[in-house]
Amino acid sequence: MLVLYPIAYLIQASLSVGDPQARPPEAYGLDNYTGLGRYAHIFGNTLLVAALATMLAVVVGFAMGWILSRTNVPGRAAFEQLMALPYYVTPLMGALAWALIASPNSGFVNQIWRALGGSDHLVDINTPWGIAWVMALFEGSVAFVMIGAVMKSMDPAMEEASQVLGAGRVRTMLRITLPLVLPGVLGAAVFVFAEMLGSFSAALVLGLPNRFYVVTTAMYQLVSQYPPRFPTAAAMGVSLFAVMFAMVWIYRRIVSSGTYVTITGRAFRPRAMDVGGLRWPFLGVCVAYLAVAVILPVLTITYASFQHLTTAFPRAANFTLVNYETALSLDAVRSALGNSLLLGLATASVGVVLMGFLSWLIYRSRLPGAGVIEYLLMFPQAVPRLVFAFGMLWAWLIFPIPIYGTLWLLLIVYLTVFLPLGFRTISGVILQIDRSLEECAQMCGATWGYRLRTVTMPLLKPGLIAAWLLLFIASVRELGASILLMGPKAKVITPAIVESWFSTSTELTAAMALLQTLAVVAALVLLFAVARRAVQPGGE
Amino acid sequence: MARASIEVRDLVVRYGSVVAVRGVTFTVAAGEHLTLLGPSGCGKTTTLRAIAGLEKPTAGEIRIGGAPVFSSSSPAVNIPAERRGLSMVFQSYAIWPHMSVFDNVAYGLRVRKRPEAEVTTRVREALDLVQLGELGTRSASKLSGGQQQRVALARAFVFSPSVLLFDEPLSNLDAKLRAEMRVELKELQRRLDITSVYVTHDLEEALAISDRIVVMRDGVIEQIGSPAEIYDRPRNTFVADFVGSANLIRGRRRADLERDGLVVIQTHGGALVHGTAPGRAAGDEVLMAIRTVRLRLERARPATPFNVWPARIRQRVFQGDFTQYHVDWDGRVLIVRVAAPDPLAEGDEVFVSADPRYCVLLEE
Repeated sequence: MLVLYPIAYLIQASLSVGDPQARPPEAYGLDNYTGLGRYAHIFGNTLLVAALATMLAVVVGFAMGWILSRTNVPGRAAFEQLMALPYYVTPLMGALAWALIASPNSGFVNQIWRALGGSDHLVDINTPWGIAWVMALFEGSVAFVMIGAVMKSMDPAMEEASQVLGAGRVRTMLRITLPLVLPGVLGAAVFVFAEMLGSFSAALVLGLPNRFYVVTTAMYQLVSQYPPRFPTAAAMGVSLFAVMFAMVWIYRRIVSSGTYVTITGRAFRPRAMDVGGLRWPFLGVCVAYLAVAVILPVLTITYASFQHLTTAFPRAANFTLVNYETALSLDAVRSALGNSLLLGLATASVGVVLMGFLSWLIYRSRLPGAGVIEYLLMFPQAVPRLVFAFGMLWAWLIFPIPIYGTLWLLLIVYLTVFLPLGFRTISGVILQIDRSLEECAQMCGATWGYRLRTVTMPLLKPGLIAAWLLLFIASVRELGASILLMGPKAKVITPAIVESWFSTSTELTAAMALLQTLAVVAALVLLFAVARRAVQPGGE
Repeated sequence: MARASIEVRDLVVRYGSVVAVRGVTFTVAAGEHLTLLGPSGCGKTTTLRAIAGLEKPTAGEIRIGGAPVFSSSSPAVNIPAERRGLSMVFQSYAIWPHMSVFDNVAYGLRVRKRPEAEVTTRVREALDLVQLGELGTRSASKLSGGQQQRVALARAFVFSPSVLLFDEPLSNLDAKLRAEMRVELKELQRRLDITSVYVTHDLEEALAISDRIVVMRDGVIEQIGSPAEIYDRPRNTFVADFVGSANLIRGRRRADLERDGLVVIQTHGGALVHGTAPGRAAGDEVLMAIRTVRLRLERARPATPFNVWPARIRQRVFQGDFTQYHVDWDGRVLIVRVAAPDPLAEGDEVFVSADPRYCVLLEE
C-alpha cells in the first residue's frame, strides 16, 4: 500500500496532458512520453555516465574481490573490513571533496598545475568522466561485496584441479576462475548499472555547474523550476523506473539461473593463492583505492572546512574556525541537523519494529501470499529515491491530512524507501534462527509472549541493533527523497548541505558536511553508552 | 511421573496440494516406547509434529491421556502445543545459544513458575542423569554435539511431561557416539518410565529402543509390530527391503505340498522353498523374503528334510563383523551373511539351508 500508492500517482501524472497544475488530470494521453524526444540527450548522458561508472566500479570490484579473497596479500582481513568505508563516505561527500580537488578553476590539482607553469586546467571533474569517477569510487565497494562473495563461494578444488592437470596460474585464472565467476560479475554489473541510473547526488553537485543533466537531476530541475512541469518530470521518472525495473529483473534472472553452480553447501577450506612478489603491488592497489575513495575526500573536506578561502597551498593566516562558528550559529543549520537526528531516531525505531514484524510475518507465519508481500517490500529497491519521492509528492499533496512539508511526510518516505534495507537486514537474522529454537520453547510450555521475550527477542537482538544503526545512518544522510519533499519549515541536513554548496561558500559547506558526520558518530556513541547502561542493571 | 496414552485416528496432514500424511491410525499405550520408522518424506516427522501440536492436521483426531487435543469433527478441538503437556527433543537439538546450560534445562520449570530452590535441585538431578553434572554454568554455545544432545534431553524431561517426543535426535551424531547414545537413551527411558514416540530412519536405532515400531511410507502405515516381528516377518516388499537386507524369492504356490501349517512355493528354476504365512492371504504368484543373516552355508549337507539346496560361492566380501557371500543358487544370486570366521572360498560347492520360520510370505 505504502509502496504502490505513490507509483500509481506517478504514472497518473505522467499521462496527464491537460493543464499541468490540475488535479486530477483533465485529460490523459501519451504526449508526455512522445515529448521526451526533446530530452534524448539527457537520456544519453545518463547512459554514458552510468556505463562509464559501472565499468570502472566493476573493474575495481573485481580486482579488489580477487585480491582480497583469493590471494595472500598482507592484511587481507583488515582490508575486507575497510572496504565498507567508501559506502559510508557517501557519494555526496565524495562529490563535494572531488569538486574541491579537481574542479577546473579552483581545484587543488589545477591550482598546483598552474603554479608549476601549466596553463588552463589539467583535470576537470565537472564532466561525465568526473561524475562517473566519483560514482564508481562509491559503488566500487558495492561491486566488491557482490563479486567477493561469489569468489569466496567457489570451491578452490576447481582451480586446484586445473593446476594438477598442468595449467599455470595465469591460464587457470583465465580459463577456470574467470568463467566460473562470470555470472556473478555480470550480476554485479547489472545491479550497479541500475543503481547508477538512479543516482542523484554526484550528478547534481558536479553536473549542475556545467548544465550537464542526467535524468534524475533533470527531473529535479523540472520540478523545482517555476512553473513546475510535473507531467514531463513524471514521464521521465516512469521511463527511468521502467529501465531500472528491467535491469533489476535481469539481475534476478542472472542470479537465480545459476548456470554454473559454484555454491555447494559443502564447507570447503578457503585457500589463498600464493602470488609471491606480486603481493606488494596488490597491497598498493588496495591502499590506493581506499586513499582515493576515503582518505583523500575526508582529508580534503576537513582541510577546506578550516579555511577562509580554500587553496591548495596552506597559509597560517588562512586557517580559521569561522566556518564552524557560522554553521553552528545559523538557526537553519541547527534546526536542520536537529530535525535530521530526530527523523533518524524515529525512522530507525519505527522501522525496526515495523520491518521486524513484517520479516517475522513473512518467514514465520506461513501466511498465504507471503512471497508476494516479500516481492512488494523489495520494490522500492528498483525505484530511484528521487523518482519515488516525486510520486510521494504527487500522492501526498492531495492527501486529506495536511502532512506535506512536515517531518511526518519525510518519516513516511524514509520508512518506505528504506524498507528493503531494513527488511533484508532483519530477515537475514530471522532466517539464521532455526525455527526449532522457538518450537522447543513452545514444547516446554511457554506461551507466545513468554517465548517472544525469552527466546525470539534475545536471539534477534544483534540483528535488530544492526538494522537500527543502518536505518539511522541512512536516514540522516538521505538526499534524493528529502530534497524534493522537505518543507521550508522542516529542513533536514543533507539537502541543506547541497543548498549551501550552490548558494554560499564552499568552506561553510565542508564544515556542515563534517558536522553532519560528527553528529552521526556522536549520536551513535551516545546511544551505545545509554543502551549499555540500561542493559547492565538488568543482569542478563 | 504421570504416563499418558496417545491415540491417533485417521490423521491427515496436507500442505496445499501435497498430502504428507494420508490417514494414519495407531495407539501408544501408557509407558510404551513407540517408534515411527521410514525413509525421508514418509510423513513420520509430520505425524510426530501433529501430535506435538506444531503442525495443524487437516483431518483426524489425536487424544492424549484419553482427552482430545486435536479433532477435526465437531466439536473441533486444537489445543496449542504449549498446553498439551508434552515435551520434545529436536533433531537440531534447538539449544538456545544465549543461555547457559543450566538456564536451558531450567526453562520448562521456570515457565511453570516452580520455586527457584526446586528448579535448582531438579535441574541438577536432570544434568546428573545425562552425565553433565559439572557443566551447568557453561554457556550452551560452547558445547560439543554429544553434550548438546544431552542438554536437549535433560531439558525435555526435567519438568515431568506426560509424553516425550523424539525427532531423529541422534541423526546429527557420528556413528560411534550414536551407538553409545542409543544405549544410554534406552537406559534413560527405562528409568524415567515415560510414554515416548520416537522418529527415525535408522533401523538399528528403531530396533534397539522400541517396544513397537510403525513403518511408514508415503504418508501411510505399512506395518505395525514389535521389533522382532518387523524384522523377521515383514509384511511386504517395502518393509522387507527397508528393514535390513533380505533376499526376495519369487515363485508359484504349491498348495499340494503344504502341511504342518507351512506354505510351499516353487521357484521358476524348480527349487522348493518352505516357509510361513503369518495370517497372510496370498495369490498364486507370490514373493518370499529371507533375511541374509538367516541363511546358513555348510560344506556337508545338513540333515533337515527340506529347505536345503546345493549352491556355489561366487564372491566373498569380508566386512569385519561378518562376511558376505554372494552365492549362485537356482539360476540367481543369493546374499548370505555369516558372522563366524569361515574358511569358505570363492568357487566352493556348498549347501544353503534356511529355517522355514524365517522364510516369510509377503503380501505383495
